[in-house]
Amino acid sequence: MPSSERFDVAILKLTVRYPDRDRNALEAFSESLAEGEVVAIAGPSGCGKTTLCRTLAGFVPAMIPAIVSGDVRLGGESIRGVAPEALATRVGLVQQDPDAQICTLSAWQEVAFGPENLCLPAAEVRTRVERCLGELGIAHLRDRVTTTLSGGEKQRLAIASILAMQPRVLLFDEPTANLDPMGIQALFRTLADLVRVEERTLLIIEHRIDALLALGPRLVLLDRGKLVERYPARERIDYAEVGLRGAWSLPPAGAAAGSPRIAVDRLSFGYAEPLWRDLSFSLREGEVLAVIGPNGGGKTSLLRLLAGLATPREGTIERAAGTRVGFVFQHPHHQIFERTVRREMELEHPRGANAADAELRDARLEGLEDAAPLSLSLGEQRRLTMATTLARQPNLLLLDEPFIGQDRRNVLWMISRLREVVAAGGTAVLVTHDIPLAAALADRVLYLDREAQLLGHPDEVFGRLRDLGETAFTPEAWL
Amino acid sequence: MIAGRGLHCSSPMAGFVLLLALVGVVLAVPSLIVEGAILLGVGCLVIISGDRPTQFLRRLRFVLLFALVLFIAQALSIHTGRVFVTSPVRITAGGLLAGAKMALRFLVILSASALFVQTTDPDRLAQGLIRMGVPYRYGYLLILALRFVPFFQDELRSVREAQRVRGIEVSVRSPRRIVHAVRYTFVPVLVSGLHRVDSIAISMKGRCFGLHPKRTTSREEPQSGWSLVALGVGGLAIALAIVAARGRWI
Repeated sequence: MPSSERFDVAILKLTVRYPDRDRNALEAFSESLAEGEVVAIAGPSGCGKTTLCRTLAGFVPAMIPAIVSGDVRLGGESIRGVAPEALATRVGLVQQDPDAQICTLSAWQEVAFGPENLCLPAAEVRTRVERCLGELGIAHLRDRVTTTLSGGEKQRLAIASILAMQPRVLLFDEPTANLDPMGIQALFRTLADLVRVEERTLLIIEHRIDALLALGPRLVLLDRGKLVERYPARERIDYAEVGLRGAWSLPPAGAAAGSPRIAVDRLSFGYAEPLWRDLSFSLREGEVLAVIGPNGGGKTSLLRLLAGLATPREGTIERAAGTRVGFVFQHPHHQIFERTVRREMELEHPRGANAADAELRDARLEGLEDAAPLSLSLGEQRRLTMATTLARQPNLLLLDEPFIGQDRRNVLWMISRLREVVAAGGTAVLVTHDIPLAAALADRVLYLDREAQLLGHPDEVFGRLRDLGETAFTPEAWL
Repeated sequence: MIAGRGLHCSSPMAGFVLLLALVGVVLAVPSLIVEGAILLGVGCLVIISGDRPTQFLRRLRFVLLFALVLFIAQALSIHTGRVFVTSPVRITAGGLLAGAKMALRFLVILSASALFVQTTDPDRLAQGLIRMGVPYRYGYLLILALRFVPFFQDELRSVREAQRVRGIEVSVRSPRRIVHAVRYTFVPVLVSGLHRVDSIAISMKGRCFGLHPKRTTSREEPQSGWSLVALGVGGLAIALAIVAARGRWI
C-alpha cells in the first residue's frame, strides 16, 4: 500500500574506493529518485553500476570493505551505520548472479526465507510466497530443489524472493541477464504493476535498454564511476550514439559455403525425461548458428554435447577431422584457473606472453593485468574467458550467453572476434536471449524447446514463431 | 505436498529419532542377531519407501567393500575359541564372530544413515529442529552445509570440463602432476566456494537474516501415519536390544 509519508532516495556526492583498486569505483555521484520513479542506470562494464546498488543496499562498506564518503538518504534518513539486515526492510537488491543469491534448498522455502526473517505471521508468509511465485510465473516450481533449476528459473526465483520482502525501493542488477524473452516481458509487467499500484521505486541496472522501454524509465549514464548524462523518461534515445544495446545494424556476413564442420543426427538429450528428441542438423565452415528458446529448454546442454562434454541419450554427433573446439561457458568463473589476469591469459597460450599482452589489450582488459580474475566484474570475466578461448584458435566456437553484462562496445568486440573466426573458415554456435542480436548476427536460428524445435533462416524461424504465437521470441517485440 | 511414500512421507524428526534409535542399539548391544535383524529391518524400510534395493546397494558399494575389509581384518587378527584353519593364516570362531559383528555394525550405521539422508528433506529437518527450539542460526547452518554439497559437485564437474576445453591435462601420476592437479582443480573450486559463501552471506543479510532473535516457521509439517511407523520401528529395535541384553544373545 502506498504510504502517506514520502520515501525519496537521495544520493549525495557518493564516492567509493575498493582497497585493491587504484581508482574510485564511484566518484562524487549524486542523484535523487522520487517515490514511485523508475530509473535505469547504464554505462560501460565496470563503470560502478553494481557498486552503486551494493552501497544503496548497505553491503558496501558493511560487508564489502571500501572507503566511502558522501551520503545516501532514504526518506530523509541517512543509511550511514545502518546494518544491511535492518536496511533490507526498505531496500531490496536482486543480485546479478542468481546462483549466488539462493540460500535454501527448495524454491518455496527460498521465497519464504525473507518474510520468515521479518517474523511475519505464517499465514501472511504463505500468502506472499504464493503471490510472488505466481507473479513471476514459477508457481509450478514451488517444490523443486533449487540446485536443479535452470539459470533463468533461478533468476525468477531470486526476484520473487526479494519481491516477497515488499521493500519500498527495489534495486535490480541486470535482472534480464538470464531470462528468456517471455520471462523478461513477464518480469516487466510485474514491475510496472509494482510502480503503478504500490508506488515502489525501482533502480535498474541494464545494458539492454530495449527490454526496459515498457517501464518508461528515466535513464542515467555512468562512466568510470562518474555521472555522464541524464535522459528524461520516454525520451527517444539513439542507442548506438550513447553506447547502449538495443538496436543492431550489422554488416551482412558472407554466405556459408564451406565444407561440413559438424553433423548432428537424431540427437536426444535429457535427464529424467528427454528435453528433446530427434534433433538433426549440420553446420558448415563459415556459418553462425544462434540457438534461442525458453529457459530450461536444453540450450546449454546442446553446446555441451557439441563440445563432446556430455553424452547424448540417443543419436550421433560427427565433427570434421581437425576440428578445434573453443567453448565460452555461461559462468566465466568456471574457466578461470590463475591468480592474475595476465597469468590466466598466458596459461596454455600457444603463442607466448607477448601475444597474451596484445590480446588482453584487444579485450579491453589493459590495466587489469595484475588483478585477481575473480575480482573483475562479470562482464570483464566474460571478456577474459573469450580472449583465452580465442587464443587457442578454435574453428568450432561455442558461446553460451556471452553478451550478458556487456555494453554495446564490448558486444561489438565479441561480434568482430566471432566473425574473424568464421571468416577464417570456422563455425560458431551462439546461445543467446538477445533476439534482435541473434537476428542480426546469425545465418541460421535454432529455436529449442521441449515442445518444438525450429531450424532455418532467421526470417523463416521468426515467421514460424509468430504463427505459433511466440511473439516474445521475435525481433520486433524488442524494437 | 511430499512426493514418495514410506519414510519419504514421515516427519524428518521421526526419521531422525529412528536413526538415533538404530545407531544407539547397535552400539549399546553388540549382538549378531540384533545387528542382523536391524539390517534386515533397514532393507525392508528401503523397499517400503519405494526405493530400489539394487540402487541403494550400488550407492553403498564402497561401504560394503569396507565392511568386507573390516570382517577380514578382525577374522585374521582375533584368535579365540575354536580353531578352523591354522595355515597359512589362523582363523578362529572368535575372530569370525568379532568380524561379523564389526562388519554388521558398520553396515547398520551406514545404511541407516544413507536411508535417512535419502528419505529426508534437509529443509524440513532444519525446520523441525528449529520448531523443537534449536536456535535458527544453527538450523540454517545445516541447510547451508547441505546447499554446498551439490554446489561443489557442480563446480568440480564444470572445472573439469573447462580443463578439457582449455587443454589443461590433469593427472596424478607424479608428485609434480599432483601439485598441478590440485592447483588447477581444487584451488578454483575452493576459491569459487569462498566467493559463493560471501555472496550468500550478502543475500541472507539482504533478506533480514539475524534481524530478530526468532523467526517464523511458515511451512506446515503434514501429519503422516508413516511417522508413527518410523517411531514404532525405532521402539521395536530398542525392545529387541533389551531382550537381547537380558538373554545374552550372541
